[in-house]
Amino acid sequence: MELYGKNAAELSAMLKNREISSVELTESVFRRIDETEEKINAYVTLDRENALKSAAEIDARRAAGEELSPLAGIVMGIKDNISTKGLATTCASKMLADYKPPFNATVMDKLAAAGVVVAGKLNMDEFAMGSSTETSYFKPTKNPYDTDRIPGGSSGGSAAAVAAGEAVLALGSDTGGSIRQPAAYCGVVGLKPTYGAVSRFGLVAFASSLDQIGPIGKTVEDVAMLQTAICGHDRMDATSARREYPDYFRGLENNAQGLKIGIPKEYFGDGIDGEVKQKIMDAVKLLEKNGASVKEISLPSADYALSSYYIISSAEASSNLARYDGVRYGYRAENYDGLIDMYEKTRSEGFGDEVKRRIMLGTFVLSSGFFDAYYKKAKLLQRRISAEFSDAFGEVDVIATPTVPTTAFRIGENTDDPLKMYATDICTVTVNIAGLPALSVPCGCDSKGLPVGLQLIGGKFTEQRLLNAAYTYEHLRGGFPAAVI
Amino acid sequence: MNIDIRHIAKLARLRIEDDQFEKFEKEMQNIVDMVENLPDIDEELALDENDPMTLREDCAVTDKYTRQELMANAPQVKAGCLVVPKTVE
Repeated sequence: MELYGKNAAELSAMLKNREISSVELTESVFRRIDETEEKINAYVTLDRENALKSAAEIDARRAAGEELSPLAGIVMGIKDNISTKGLATTCASKMLADYKPPFNATVMDKLAAAGVVVAGKLNMDEFAMGSSTETSYFKPTKNPYDTDRIPGGSSGGSAAAVAAGEAVLALGSDTGGSIRQPAAYCGVVGLKPTYGAVSRFGLVAFASSLDQIGPIGKTVEDVAMLQTAICGHDRMDATSARREYPDYFRGLENNAQGLKIGIPKEYFGDGIDGEVKQKIMDAVKLLEKNGASVKEISLPSADYALSSYYIISSAEASSNLARYDGVRYGYRAENYDGLIDMYEKTRSEGFGDEVKRRIMLGTFVLSSGFFDAYYKKAKLLQRRISAEFSDAFGEVDVIATPTVPTTAFRIGENTDDPLKMYATDICTVTVNIAGLPALSVPCGCDSKGLPVGLQLIGGKFTEQRLLNAAYTYEHLRGGFPAAVI
Repeated sequence: MNIDIRHIAKLARLRIEDDQFEKFEKEMQNIVDMVENLPDIDEELALDENDPMTLREDCAVTDKYTRQELMANAPQVKAGCLVVPKTVE
């Protein structure tokens, strides 16, 4: 197998034993990018020269006998809403098409310290608003399992790059499912960590009370390795949790004995595709056969989650995106008559339609006279949804649901119907609303050969238990077929 | 609930072109209709006692950015200042 097709844990051992060099790995990944990127469109910006330079530096440090982190020399792609000093960070928007941050996000400093090689910046839905990567200002990313289909979103570039072998690992961000949903569609593993576990400093803000950076990889091991490197308290993020984190990779255990799995009936309703439902239940049964216990539970407010999510996230987005005014950075309209005209033209020309819809919804629900009817109700429901999850975790260790109601849809299929697009988030948004960790792990393919994702949800800061459950399932499932491009 | 798109767009400093207006209005109306299903909950919003606010350490910031670095992304700069249209007559 070519180096680009191997997983991070394997490559890490090979690098450590000097069977391969980081330069060889980086060259292999870029050869793959040269081969497949034209069909996949995973990257907005490639940084080949610097990648090869940092790979050579890592190789030199290793040759000098330096003790390096397990991620040293591993090639990664970064979602384009994570600030990278001096390297364009566009959020896949015309608004930030030429923006180069003067600073690194905290996660980028952590990755640099770990010796990660950054191949480039990955495509996404504009400002992370979307579920298909079709709202990118630059280009739509394609699903490596079927290039006529979407990879999911908003971290579609991240999931597609890992699935295509164009990156060994990737960082995504998840506000309502943006890591887990594309991971499910692209047959890779994606973790949305507990709110506060990973610093958001340098993540371009969409909905600050929900946004979280997280890892995407081919296997649970890879995701555990990357999560260990990026989590931790950060004084630059006021919402960052003050606590110690274990080494998730070393802590992985393959054991289903005693694992209590909850099946929330509200997540298996009519909207869920029959084949998807079957694959999820097959996965749960496999764990049960190997020692886990399964119990039906109820999360009754799930029906209101999508509405609460769109109200809260859009309200926060309307405020966060007020900063794009054409003054300090970003796009500015060419012709205008006075300040207000400059603001309006800049924002109208710089933002795409989906971003405008979200800003308008957020502005509406926060506007005078409507706050109680929308935002306040949504925040009260958020509390109720969180309480229902807390009750459930008194009885079970993890909750299993589909990650997405269907497998990947065709490019263009839902672009004219925002509501249909929003409905793809129905199984993932509750997790963000409650601030919980959750992951998606591939659990088979449907009859069209498209990957299905099993979502596992855990209590706050129980990432290790969640990763262990997924790791155990992954062993029971066996290998997963790679995308043929 | 009917929403006044022109008013909301003005508040958001956005402009919806005439040929786009009808489509936008319909889409926004559908979205607002979707999020209207929330039940009444007779409770008040309160801060979470289990998640108290903490202040960050009171120490000097050591990041050193030059003025040039910070202004490098500005659309228009003149004599070390950001240029905007005249706001005071």
